[in-house]
Amino acid sequence: MKISAEQLTQGVQDLPSLPAVVMELLSNIEQENIDISVLAKKVSYDQALTAKTLRLANSSSLGLQVKVATIQQAITFLGFETTRKLITAAAVTGCFPNGRCPGFNDKAFWRHSIATAACSRSLARRLRFNQDVAFTAGLLHDIGRLVLVTGHPQAYAEVLAWRSAHDGEWLDAERAVLGVDHVDAGVALAEHWNFSDTMRQAIAFHHTPETPGAGFLAAIVHVANAVVHALDLAGEDDELAPALSSVAWNAMGLNEEAYLDLFRETEQQLEEMSAILMA
Amino acid sequence: MSGAYQMRSLADARPGMVLGEVLRDEKGNVLLAQGAVLSEGMLASLGRHGVDMLPILSAARPEATIDPAQVQERLDRVFRKHERGNHDDWATGILRQFVEDFRLGREVQR
Repeated sequence: MKISAEQLTQGVQDLPSLPAVVMELLSNIEQENIDISVLAKKVSYDQALTAKTLRLANSSSLGLQVKVATIQQAITFLGFETTRKLITAAAVTGCFPNGRCPGFNDKAFWRHSIATAACSRSLARRLRFNQDVAFTAGLLHDIGRLVLVTGHPQAYAEVLAWRSAHDGEWLDAERAVLGVDHVDAGVALAEHWNFSDTMRQAIAFHHTPETPGAGFLAAIVHVANAVVHALDLAGEDDELAPALSSVAWNAMGLNEEAYLDLFRETEQQLEEMSAILMA
Repeated sequence: MSGAYQMRSLADARPGMVLGEVLRDEKGNVLLAQGAVLSEGMLASLGRHGVDMLPILSAARPEATIDPAQVQERLDRVFRKHERGNHDDWATGILRQFVEDFRLGREVQR
């Protein structure tokens, strides 16, 4: 059951769209001179999105000592970058329908994505890279899998069967059954949703961070993805640690002590954020 | 969240511990909510607020009861596609060792 390039593009266009304001936030992710008050107003028109964002803002991992009640307050106390990240997380996790493809574990998918987001952010902090961009890239790195599952649920059920029979990697299962993989689908979605170039690169190269020009963000997400699989956090019975690129590992340049702290932070943040985002 | 908690000194509190009761400063202002998971940043900030005792939820982390053989078996399953000592796959090998140290609570040279 192969999927052609046209079918992939068509599938992406049939997806539920993100609120316009979130698309705006994602496409300008490196741009800092956005009119914040206009954005805060636009977000606050969407009540469900606002409520989820504020719950995230008030979660204990951010350590705010006051409770924020509006998006504008969140921006004042947490800063624009962090608030943007929270809005994006709240919007993206609510955008795809669950349970379309029998056998696909939506919960494990989101636990993996949220943990990779938290881990990417912790890595970025240690490497003095933009933490909010790293969080969002970690959250979205596998979003192509949801594109395939949502757009082609029956075909994806075959991918699940193939993977289980061969005990292989997702990428190999997708290529064998569909002829395209979640990286292709993620890049197609990134185009459709008008993600920034940095974000697109991170999605495109998170399995191949040693590719020339892949960028540092792809290396961060690659290592975070491997760490999260290795920590066995998603709740998948047949969890499989992927091969870790030595180039990406070396680029992190961290010692064991730093990694043990990173593991601890990732686990804590996963539990707290998943309680809010998957509610 | 309801459960027994014990007062611990700030110096004994560690990231990951959970507050068993709302934490207030001397004027009665809420500093942290009940159920908050402590982070390094919070502990530093509490010191600056003059907090010296914290209500820590008892048995917040059931880690003490791990079965090392079971943990090792599960780790071996997660890393089943990676042979130990494969030089072409050394980065995965180091990550595996770090995760084993973490899960099995092995002492790490600092």
